[in-house]
Amino acid sequence: MSTMVLPTAADPAVSVLAAGLAQVPQMDYRAVLPVLVVLGAACVGVLFEAFLPRPRRWLWQVALTVAALLAAGVALYAYLGDAPAQGVKTFAGTLSIDRPALFLWGTLLVLGLGAVLLIADRSVEPGGYFVAQAAIRPGTQQDRAQAAGANMHTEVFPLALFALGGMMVFCAANDLLTMFVALEVLSLPLYLLCGLARRRRLLSQESAVKYFLLGAFASAFFLYGLALLYGYAGSVKLADIAAAAGGTNRSDTLLFAGLGLLAVGLLFKGSVGPFHTWTPDVYQGAPTPVTAFMAACTKVAAFGGLLRVLTVAFKATSWEWRGVLWAVAIISMVIGAVLGLTQRDVKRMIAYSSVAHAGFLLIGAIALTEQGLSGTMFYLLAYGFTTLAAFAVVGLVRTGEGEATHLSQWAGLAKRSPLLAGVFTFLLLSLAGIPLTSGFVGKFVVFSAALADGMAPLVVIALVMSAVAAFFYLRVIVLMYFSEPAADGPTVTVPGVFTAAAITLGVLVTLLLGVWPAFALDWAGSGGFAL
Amino acid sequence: MTTGLVLAADAANAAGAVSTGEAVAFWILGPLAVLGGLGMLFARNAVHSALWLAVTMLSLGVLYMIQQAPFLGFVQIIVYTGAIMMLFLFVLMLVGRDSSDSVVEVLRGQRLAATVLGIGFAVLLVSALARALSLVTPIGLAGPNANGGNVANLGQSIFTDYLFPFELTSALLITAAIGAMVLAYTDRHAPGGKKTQRELVIARFRGEYARPSPLPGPGVFATADSVATPALLPDGSVAPESLSEIIEATSTKRLSEDIAEVSGNVPAPDAHALGGANGTGHRNGSARPGLPASTGTSGSAPGGEEAP
Repeated sequence: MSTMVLPTAADPAVSVLAAGLAQVPQMDYRAVLPVLVVLGAACVGVLFEAFLPRPRRWLWQVALTVAALLAAGVALYAYLGDAPAQGVKTFAGTLSIDRPALFLWGTLLVLGLGAVLLIADRSVEPGGYFVAQAAIRPGTQQDRAQAAGANMHTEVFPLALFALGGMMVFCAANDLLTMFVALEVLSLPLYLLCGLARRRRLLSQESAVKYFLLGAFASAFFLYGLALLYGYAGSVKLADIAAAAGGTNRSDTLLFAGLGLLAVGLLFKGSVGPFHTWTPDVYQGAPTPVTAFMAACTKVAAFGGLLRVLTVAFKATSWEWRGVLWAVAIISMVIGAVLGLTQRDVKRMIAYSSVAHAGFLLIGAIALTEQGLSGTMFYLLAYGFTTLAAFAVVGLVRTGEGEATHLSQWAGLAKRSPLLAGVFTFLLLSLAGIPLTSGFVGKFVVFSAALADGMAPLVVIALVMSAVAAFFYLRVIVLMYFSEPAADGPTVTVPGVFTAAAITLGVLVTLLLGVWPAFALDWAGSGGFAL
Repeated sequence: MTTGLVLAADAANAAGAVSTGEAVAFWILGPLAVLGGLGMLFARNAVHSALWLAVTMLSLGVLYMIQQAPFLGFVQIIVYTGAIMMLFLFVLMLVGRDSSDSVVEVLRGQRLAATVLGIGFAVLLVSALARALSLVTPIGLAGPNANGGNVANLGQSIFTDYLFPFELTSALLITAAIGAMVLAYTDRHAPGGKKTQRELVIARFRGEYARPSPLPGPGVFATADSVATPALLPDGSVAPESLSEIIEATSTKRLSEDIAEVSGNVPAPDAHALGGANGTGHRNGSARPGLPASTGTSGSAPGGEEAP
């Protein structure tokens, strides 16, 4: 660094660097290698778009994306053995790569791989789930011409990688500024991906606009909270905020106003409670692989960030804010469970189920104990795989016009395809939290952590709401098995290799975490955040 | 050592003292900013609103500079006022400055509720901030402005402390660029791609489209400069195909004169030539006091392009 700046040392600003007053940040490249691989592969994918002829892009992009995720996974695994137990802070303390961050990275990479397999699938829908040219207006003659073609926007692969990279940074960000940039990096590609569906394009574009507008508002809330917290603590670093909140006679107004606004931004991304309004519309309108990606990975990132903010920066003041988050968790569970009952669309139903699950996750997140942390992270892992596979199954039930998502079309599906109905039943049972599935273990560890932390009333409410939510999962099962199929009902597409792999992955992990959760629980509980 | 010197020099600043020049500038710029904000709220015309907002932003930018934050001040002016506000104005001009928001209350009592809640929120915010900031001892500007000044220190933080978020921003920019291309670019060689002008004409005359000619454009240069103005047919009726589905068109009432003129109801075919002024005067006098009758009734006169 100094050799670089010495020739121009006459400049006062540069001489500062030369004199060594400015510290060049320590960069632990090995620790952040998974993130760098993912983001670097996204950039290479953009170059593919620029230089490869259109017919060859799909193959190259899929190969690159899968290879990048595998390489990032290998890098993560190789680092895991040498990683210090208390974690590493690198890049001048902007990233904190500790045990929870590594666990969440692993979760994100595996879930991202499943989502990418779904995105890459071209067997269920000829040409893939994505539109060939998004700029063509829906419903026009040109649109009909392109719908029949077998092309798709292969930009979705680098976009998905960018989103995934943003999520990984979000989980590890140790100051609010990095967290905000990561929030935008993960959101922007998702807004785009939502609007690129091949079928029902207006619905898809509407969902993208809704998500974009509401997401921009949520980001503004986050930023406002960040500004107030900076005003309070004089720093955006989480540790400095914790230190400032620890023992001063300053007015708490800025602290709690800042925390409140910050929490709105985070809870929005996790589709929690009263900040969930975008969830059903966006989950319904977005292309199903993107919905799966959002439902699984965005939730991991949002709760990973929330856990870190609450644990590292606001643990000392938890007595003041915990009541508010209690209320938010209750509202989220009630909204998800009760409104989920009234849904007539499978994708919307799973969307409301995700709101209810966000409430359960929040219970673990506000426990602020080691048990709560590991329980929440395990729940994220389990829920991600289950919901990924559930959306993949939803994508298989189709009519000539696209996916048949209305519940009435699912009547008697077990008679048409016993295998699909069986798989979906298993996934719904896991979402409901029946024993021998990962959903049960996830709920068990989260609720027991909450009980140990003295939140018994909340756990009782959560159990009641679990029972209510189980009702609408069971209703779908009853519909599939005990109704007569309609004559003009949907057909079940035989999935290609990619979708079959994603569903198999989801179902196997759901089963595995249900019967033998110890290894994942051990890993999730292997250490706390680097303070 | 240098830091110590600067600290001593800025001791007055650190104590929160405000110099006379700064106070004068504040009392000029502060009311201007508030005025701009109010003007933005109460201006009827969307373009005026945008310009009022630009006044507020400019005042804030200058205030930042006076408070020894030159980088922030210039960014405020260049990025917000220069780029974002002007983009906003472009959009307004494209959509048509005539088209304004509907003033019908969709939700009953919405405006009252919004006013009460807005004032309540403002009171809450001001009192909370006042309480929060009254007990705080200002850190002063010594730290941020030491060693080469504010801008140099910002640059230094970007490349040291905040290197990672700064680099991460590039991912954001790449995403934005891809997004713009994905949403806007059509490949004319792909199936369903855009046709060239020539192919389009041939296809039209072969009957592949509903009509051989393009849709009539809006009546932009007839009497107004907005795409919201519908085109008129020879009999004075509005050409329905010239109306955009997504933009609310100028109401027919405001076009009544043009319609009357096109349909030949005006009893003076040679109005702009000699003595037709009294024939159309009262008609124009009520709606367009500013224009002479001759320009008001002549569709071909250059003056007809200007509409109030």
